Amino acid sequence: MKLYLYGIIDSSDQIKESIYGLEEGSNVYNIPFCDIGAVVSEISQPIQGVTKGAVLVHEIVVEKLMEQFTVLPVRFQTIINGRDSLLSMMQSYYKDFKDNLARLHNKLEFGIKVIWPADKVKANIIKVLKKDEQKTIESDNSPNKRFIEEKFEEYKISKEFEAKADKFIKIIDIFFGKFAAEKKLEKLKTENLLLDAVYLVEKDKQKDFKEALEHIKNANYPGFKYLFSGPWPAYNFVVLSKKPGLLTDSEQNLFSLTK
Amino acid sequence: MIANGIVETESPEEFIEEIERAQNALPKKIDANPKNVEKGLAKLVLTLIELIRKLLEKQAMRRVEAGSLSDEQIENVGETLMKLESKMEELKQIFGLKDEELNLNLGPLGDLM
Repeated sequence: MKLYLYGIIDSSDQIKESIYGLEEGSNVYNIPFCDIGAVVSEISQPIQGVTKGAVLVHEIVVEKLMEQFTVLPVRFQTIINGRDSLLSMMQSYYKDFKDNLARLHNKLEFGIKVIWPADKVKANIIKVLKKDEQKTIESDNSPNKRFIEEKFEEYKISKEFEAKADKFIKIIDIFFGKFAAEKKLEKLKTENLLLDAVYLVEKDKQKDFKEALEHIKNANYPGFKYLFSGPWPAYNFVVLSKKPGLLTDSEQNLFSLTK
Repeated sequence: MIANGIVETESPEEFIEEIERAQNALPKKIDANPKNVEKGLAKLVLTLIELIRKLLEKQAMRRVEAGSLSDEQIENVGETLMKLESKMEELKQIFGLKDEELNLNLGPLGDLM
C-alpha cells in the first residue's frame, strides 16, 4: 500500500485525534522512527492533478498537526512506495529532520508581498537623471557610440530602480524583520512586485508581527499595496542537507527496535 | 472545512496578476521532447548566450561609468555589443523564442537572470 506523506513531527506517539486523509475512509496516522514520526494516510491510486479540495485537505491535516506538534510540512503530492521506503527515507534524513524540528519548534511562517508603483518610480528616476544629465560619451554621430550611449542611459535607470527597490525593501523589513527569527526576501520578481517575502515567526510574536502590517499601512507610502498571509506551516524554512553520519549507535538501536 | 491561515489584501486582482506573471515568465525546466528537441536545445543554448551577453554589456557599462574606456574602445565595444544584440534577435526569430523565455529557474538558487 502506498503512503501519502503530510509531514514529519517531533513525536513517535500515535495521533489521538481522528483526522481525515486525502482518500475517503483513510485516516491519518503516525509511523514512528526513533523519537520522531512521519504522518501519513494510505492511498490506493495516484492523485489526479492539483485540485483545490485536495490541496485544502493536505493543508488542514498539516495545520491540525501543528496544534499539537512541531511539523516539517511536506510538499503536496508526496507519495511513498510503502512502509519500508518510508523508514529508509527517515533513516537517511533523521539528523536533518531533528535539526529542522528543533529550529522550527514553536514557529510559524507568514508571507508578505508588496506591489509598488513601478511606473511612477521609473518616471521619477528618468526625470531626475535628465535634470542632472552630464554627457559621459560624445557620440559624434557614430552609431556604435550612440548605441553605447543608449545602453548607458538604460543602465543608469535600471541601477537607480534597483537602488530604490533596495531602499524600500529595507524600510519594509524594519517593520517586520524585528519580530522574525528567520526570513527570505525576494526582490522584484516582476517590475511591480517589489517584494515577495516569507518570515519565520515565534508563536508568541505573531500578534506583533500582524500589527506591523497596520503600522506599515499607516506609514502611508502612496501606491504601495500589501498582501499578508499566514500563519502557515514553515514550508519555506525546512532545509535538508542529508548530513553524513546518519545515526549514532544508540539511535541505530532505537531504529532496530522500531522496525 | 477551512485552513487557519488567512490571506489579507485590499488588491487581490493585482496580486494575482503579478504572481501569475512571475510564475509564467519562468519555465521550471527546458521543454525538450522528440517533437521540439531542436527548439528546446536552442532555448537552453540561447539562454546561456544571453546571460553572457548581458554580463558583457553590464561590465562595459561599468567601465563607461568609471570613465575607463578610451574613445576608440567605446567605438569597438559599441560595435561588438550591437552586433551581438542583432545576432541574438535573429536567432530568437529563427527559433520562435521571446525575450521572457530566455531564463531558467534554478530552484533554490533562484533565477538564472
